[in-house]
Amino acid sequence: MNFLKKVPTQILPLAEAQLSLSNKSALHTSAVCCRVQSGRYRITVKRDRPLTYEMANPPHFIGHRKSWNSWNTSTLKDALRPSQTAIEDVFIRKFVTGTWHALVCSEIIIKRQHNTIRIAAIIRQAISPRKMYFLIGYTEELLSYWMQCPVTLEFQTVADKKDVVFKYI
Amino acid sequence: MAANLARLLECNIRCNNAAAVQSGWRLFSNQRQQQTEVEDDEEFRVLNLRTIKQQARRREIKKNAVQPPRTSRMPVDQDWTAVWSGPRSFHPASVPLPLRQGYTERGAAAPSKYANAELMKIPNFLHLTPPAIRQQCEAIKKFCTPWPKGLETEAKWKRPFPIEVITTDYCHSLPTIRHPEARRVTITLKLSDLKFDAHAKDKFLRLVGERYNQETGVLTFSADRCPMRKQNYDYAMYLLTACYHESFVTEPWEATKSEADMEVYQFERNQAKRSAEGILNWNATGEQKDAPSANYAKSVEALINEGENEYNIAKYKEEVLKMLKIAI
Amino acid sequence: MLQLLKTLRLRQPARFASALSNTAAATLPGTEATPPAIVGEPDKLYSKLEIELRGIDPAVLKSYTWFATTAAEHLGIELGKCWSPRKAHHERMTLLKSVHIYKKHRVQYEIRTHFRYMNFHKLTGSTLDTFLEYIERNLPEGVALQASKTELQQIPEHLRQPPEQV
Repeated sequence: MNFLKKVPTQILPLAEAQLSLSNKSALHTSAVCCRVQSGRYRITVKRDRPLTYEMANPPHFIGHRKSWNSWNTSTLKDALRPSQTAIEDVFIRKFVTGTWHALVCSEIIIKRQHNTIRIAAIIRQAISPRKMYFLIGYTEELLSYWMQCPVTLEFQTVADKKDVVFKYI
Repeated sequence: MAANLARLLECNIRCNNAAAVQSGWRLFSNQRQQQTEVEDDEEFRVLNLRTIKQQARRREIKKNAVQPPRTSRMPVDQDWTAVWSGPRSFHPASVPLPLRQGYTERGAAAPSKYANAELMKIPNFLHLTPPAIRQQCEAIKKFCTPWPKGLETEAKWKRPFPIEVITTDYCHSLPTIRHPEARRVTITLKLSDLKFDAHAKDKFLRLVGERYNQETGVLTFSADRCPMRKQNYDYAMYLLTACYHESFVTEPWEATKSEADMEVYQFERNQAKRSAEGILNWNATGEQKDAPSANYAKSVEALINEGENEYNIAKYKEEVLKMLKIAI
Repeated sequence: MLQLLKTLRLRQPARFASALSNTAAATLPGTEATPPAIVGEPDKLYSKLEIELRGIDPAVLKSYTWFATTAAEHLGIELGKCWSPRKAHHERMTLLKSVHIYKKHRVQYEIRTHFRYMNFHKLTGSTLDTFLEYIERNLPEGVALQASKTELQQIPEHLRQPPEQV
């Protein structure tokens, strides 16, 4: 109670009253919900969780340290079809990750230019080139049928999953 | 796989048989016994105490030979436009540049171009290098025509081409090429480009209303009520034509325009003229009547239309003195 | 490249000469009247082409502007003012951070739209079509283009003189 010594005596009761008041009602405790965890990864005890560059940077660095995964004009001001484009992007991502099962090492980048869709990703070299060519044709054909526009896959391959790892936490 | 299994089985049986032989038992059939004897002669048997599990050899994963990156085989003086001819995501094996991209902590090098998703994300202009632009522009230059001579400045082209039609095109990354805003058409022209008489001009301005900008003297017709651009253009031109022609029609009810409807004060129609005439023709007989001078009329109109300022009042005073022939 | 050339609309460059002799020569004494070589639809005249670019990344817009202005230089098109507003347009959405309650904890999302403007002056119809198609074809992903064209027109016949009988 050292800090109370300097206070003139007239103010003391008032301060006490305020203190008691705050104890009753005005005390604000922050809840669990102030935690932000989307797009962030926990540090493991052994520090062996592999992160790609994309995962290492949380979402608020988009546009500063990392770039967008979907490139289209629907998100701009006064643009058309924002919701349809978002849904289509989700569908494309699901389809590609499912078709290239356990092969996609990075995020799937969807670029829309005019009416064409270009899909870029980094793929592991775990299957033979013949199978890869088949899957490319299969994905392009089916997606272009569903989206009703030309779809191009532009993949880059890596020998091992560890090639895309940026750091371990 | 099948061969492997067979070998394992055989091995197992062999061990069993050896044990049986040692203990003096006979197993299965004679044939088998003989076979083992034959094998015994051929090779030295190794005692194998381990079970099947250890013996199963790991299948080797055959890795396909991956080509080295194309950049290592590129000549220095290659035609880059042929390598990268169109828009395409970045690929490290075809770009012979030591690029790095990405944020790292201080001191560490940025991630290299291999397996770098950041470089794949950003739209690249590798197909639009300066030589490529020059080459393509030279190819399409034959479709261009020069601007005609004699129309260099705006003042020169305004005389033969007074109407401006403003339309907008939209280019989006959508499956559709239609854009609802593209139907909008705006037509502008100066009021002075149209020929009017006094009544028609007044009526035209009343008809167009808001579409006329008094400060710049520009008429603007914009139409967006039809779904197509052509229809909107036709409609805007129709509006202009209809207003222009309608302004030359004098309806019978226009004669009943009273003083309250007048947009400006006119000396001819007002009490001021009659009063002045009354003063001038005081006690006058016969047909000849004096009318107030044009300068007087002008000064009265200026006084009322423009408001009372020093100049207008001085002018009015001067005219009144002149008209009444009062010398100071 | 070949594909681009194939798809470009073919227009006779000589067509404009005839149009000029029909329209401008009558009004302009300084213009030498060229004999009409090919009779066809007269070419249009555009005094201004204003291009508005919208994108999420200002660097991409800048590169694209450089490309478009360079192409205009090669094609001999007069370049006007090119500028961009300093600040982007921010569209913000404020949502509850948690799913259901806790009103005091909000989270804000924003979408930025960067703008860039380019002006080109004095284009004939065929030049404008060629140039616009060329730069539209090379539009990078994530960039929206909006081209407003100011076309010059003569006063139509029925508006030149006041109507005689009304």
